[in-house]
Amino acid sequence: MPPEESPSPQNQHCFQRRGFSYDRAIKYFFASNAGLTIVILLLIIVFLLKEGLGFFPGYRRELEIYRIAGLEFVDISRRNLTAHEQLSSVLNRAYFAEINGQCARELKRTREASAVFNSFSDQTSATRDLIVNNQNSGLDPNSEMLAALRKNHAIQKEKALTSLPATPHLTAAEREQLLASIRTRDATATDDPPLVTTLAQQYAAAQQQCAKPLAELRTVIDSFEAAGADLSTLVTEMTDAVTSTKEALQNADLLEQNRKSLLAAAANAKDPTERRKLLADAHASLAEKPDIEGPMRALMRRQPDCSATHTALRHACADILARLPPSLSQSDANRLLRAANKATPLLLDSLGQAPQQITQWRHDKPVPLSDAIRSFLTGKDWVTGGAWQDFYGILPLLIGSLMISFVALCLAIPAGVGAAIYINQFASPTEQSVVKPVIEFIAAIPSVVLGFIGILIFGTVLRDLSQLDALAWVPGFPIEERLNMFTAGCLLALMSIPTIFSLAEDALNNVPSAYAEASDALGASRIQTSFRVIIPAAFSGILAAVLLGLGRVIGETMVVLLVAGNRIKIPDFSAGLGSFFQPSHTLTGIIAQELGEVPLGSVHYRALFVVGILLFGIVLGINVTAHKFVSRTPN
Amino acid sequence: MPSLSQPPSIDVHDMHFSYGDACALKSITLAIPENRVTAMIGPSGCGKSTLLRCFNRMNDEIPGARVTHGSIHIGGIEIHHPSVDVVKLRRNVGMIFQKSNPFPRSIHDNVAFGLQLHGSQNRDLIAESVESALRSAALWDEVKDRLHDSALGLSGGQQQRLCIARSLAVKPRILLMDEPCSALDPIATAKIEDLVRTLKEQYTLIIVTHNMQQASRISDHTAFFYLGELIEFSDTLKLFSNPSNPLTENYIRGTFS
Ligand SMILES: Nc1ncnc2c1ncn2[C@@H]1O[C@H](COP(=O)(O)OP(=O)(O)OP(=O)(O)O)[C@@H](O)[C@H]1O
Ligand SMILES: [Mg+2]
Repeated sequence: MPPEESPSPQNQHCFQRRGFSYDRAIKYFFASNAGLTIVILLLIIVFLLKEGLGFFPGYRRELEIYRIAGLEFVDISRRNLTAHEQLSSVLNRAYFAEINGQCARELKRTREASAVFNSFSDQTSATRDLIVNNQNSGLDPNSEMLAALRKNHAIQKEKALTSLPATPHLTAAEREQLLASIRTRDATATDDPPLVTTLAQQYAAAQQQCAKPLAELRTVIDSFEAAGADLSTLVTEMTDAVTSTKEALQNADLLEQNRKSLLAAAANAKDPTERRKLLADAHASLAEKPDIEGPMRALMRRQPDCSATHTALRHACADILARLPPSLSQSDANRLLRAANKATPLLLDSLGQAPQQITQWRHDKPVPLSDAIRSFLTGKDWVTGGAWQDFYGILPLLIGSLMISFVALCLAIPAGVGAAIYINQFASPTEQSVVKPVIEFIAAIPSVVLGFIGILIFGTVLRDLSQLDALAWVPGFPIEERLNMFTAGCLLALMSIPTIFSLAEDALNNVPSAYAEASDALGASRIQTSFRVIIPAAFSGILAAVLLGLGRVIGETMVVLLVAGNRIKIPDFSAGLGSFFQPSHTLTGIIAQELGEVPLGSVHYRALFVVGILLFGIVLGINVTAHKFVSRTPN
Repeated sequence: MPSLSQPPSIDVHDMHFSYGDACALKSITLAIPENRVTAMIGPSGCGKSTLLRCFNRMNDEIPGARVTHGSIHIGGIEIHHPSVDVVKLRRNVGMIFQKSNPFPRSIHDNVAFGLQLHGSQNRDLIAESVESALRSAALWDEVKDRLHDSALGLSGGQQQRLCIARSLAVKPRILLMDEPCSALDPIATAKIEDLVRTLKEQYTLIIVTHNMQQASRISDHTAFFYLGELIEFSDTLKLFSNPSNPLTENYIRGTFS
């Protein structure tokens, strides 16, 4: 209570406030609540920044070790080796896609027959194992038990025979034959049914048949693969050398840190004997500077050898494109062939530049802090906990988050805004009273439950659908992964529809009714009034609704963690729209997944905090923009 | 409704109107002549706006509001007949509201709105119509240099005249005005009154007002309503100088209780 408000009771005027009033108490109570939230928000920001900003110096040191230990040097060769291996794999896949495509019928037939037999085996295997165990259990098999088991097996067999998968590519006679051989099969038999064996043989024969005209391609691929052997040995040798240097450096760093904390403790210690002891400890732990010059000289001696290997490999691969067939008969194989055609010049280019990179590389080039920041913001790899080198590049996560959000918005905007327009402008009161609560009900589904549904139902259904021949024209179909960005985007769309719907509906509702009246009085039809007056007037509010939906989508964690597939890799954009069907990881997902496992205070731990700060910034930015739009809505 | 060469007259015959169960107008019979200004006066809540909104069926939008008995003929056609197209009716019967309500768009777009609604595409034609509508509403000189500024930047009186221009642009035959000057200062009011006087050559005008002087200044005929009933309808001169009903007399003298 301010002092001037408490004069002695005698000379107090009747208008003056006396004591601490009830109203003020209530006011201070609410003011303190509001203040508390602001203080907590500030604390969170301070905490995030404190934990996060330590990341960049730490990461810079890691990159420095990466350079002075020579890992960066080895990576020049490793990258080329990997590119070469990937190209080999693409060529191999093209080769097998071609063969399997040509033998598609045989492949399907043998798969279907095996599927039937496997389904039967799965359903009866438990009893079968019991029978076999019982028979083998020494001298005295329990015959009663055995009889019971056999009876059981027969029953299971009958049941299994009624629920076997369909076989559209087998003739009715073949299926009958297969079923008959299963029916008459002994419980303990181990061989495959004859039809399964024959079909497998037919398939193998067909493969051989198809491989004949492709023999030339095979030799080209084989020689291409073999050309990488030298580089591979070289990389393995160098890898061993540099990783030991790196370990020594890291250990020295740890000891140094330890010493610093001991020194700090000594400086703070009050008891002189304790201080002496701490100082002695600190002194004892003074690390020797690890020898980096020796190993580095050894590494540099390999420089000419390294350059020569690259040049040789480039020479060996130079005419690969010319030796590949211009096209193959199967569309899958052709797609892979095209990918190889695209990748080859890049590989040759990279191989050509390697000798120069190798000779120009310097281990003592300084690593400024800006390198760490750039590597974080534009790095294409997020690699952690690996034996080689950790990289914290945000790009794969950011791209994953953005692509998932894009899918989600593409679905949620038409659905949410469309529903809002319909409900607000055209629906009858009964429809309104049904649809509104139902849409808002979606918001009540916990996201983990939604993720669960996404994995079990939506993902599976989508993959099965994508395997239908009738849908083969959709880009990216058939999809390989059940969990992918599209699935996650669909579920996130479902989650953001209530947000977008409610806010857009509010925006439409807030349009003054005088506008509608004026438009009606000018002779506008219902649709004209809605689309020419109401919706344009609510436009900024609708935009704000969409942005807030986007904020919700980007910040959502559980669903993407469960459904997006969690592969940390920049999607392969050569698949066009189909790249949305690839799995990815996200900014939110990575924090949720990794924060529980990282050691406190490590660079990795701090990296996750920086991701958190980035996410916070993005969502804050979106919300601030959205509120700008909201305040622009006319009233 | 057929296109009308002459401004039509309005014939109300024994009309009853209810909002749900509440009866708002009882047994109204009145013939509003063409090319005249007709004023409607009466205490608040007596049903003036309700009757006015019947003439272009604006009450259709209110759930439960309906004509329970009787008929309204405009230009000889019963406007509540199922074959009547409300959109065409409203094109012919324009309305000005008590509170000016321009759209949050430019001045030009406000006036052009009605034309575009009815399918005009030609820019030159639209520009011509916009200019003539703004001239008729005595607004042209004030806004001709800022046609593409937002209409919400105009003063209250200018906004009301803009709304009049917007209605005139679709070339109605009848203009309904519900207390068009209630939010305006005397100068803006005078401008609108002048406007009403000039408009009556081409339009049939009906104006609701609480201002007795205004009614006597600008109207040819005056209707006095009380509690949902038409008490007296006659020549303005006669009604104000020599009312035949004591209620009317009390009301215009201001000794009404
Ligand atoms: N939308 C509505 N729903 C229900 N009742 C209404 C509605 N609009 C008006 N009424 C009722 O109808 C009666 C007539 O109202 P109206 O608006 O026509 O009066 P008014 O003469 O225009 O009054 P004022 O001079 O105040 O504008 C009033 O009793 C009013 O309560
Ligand atoms: Mg009124």
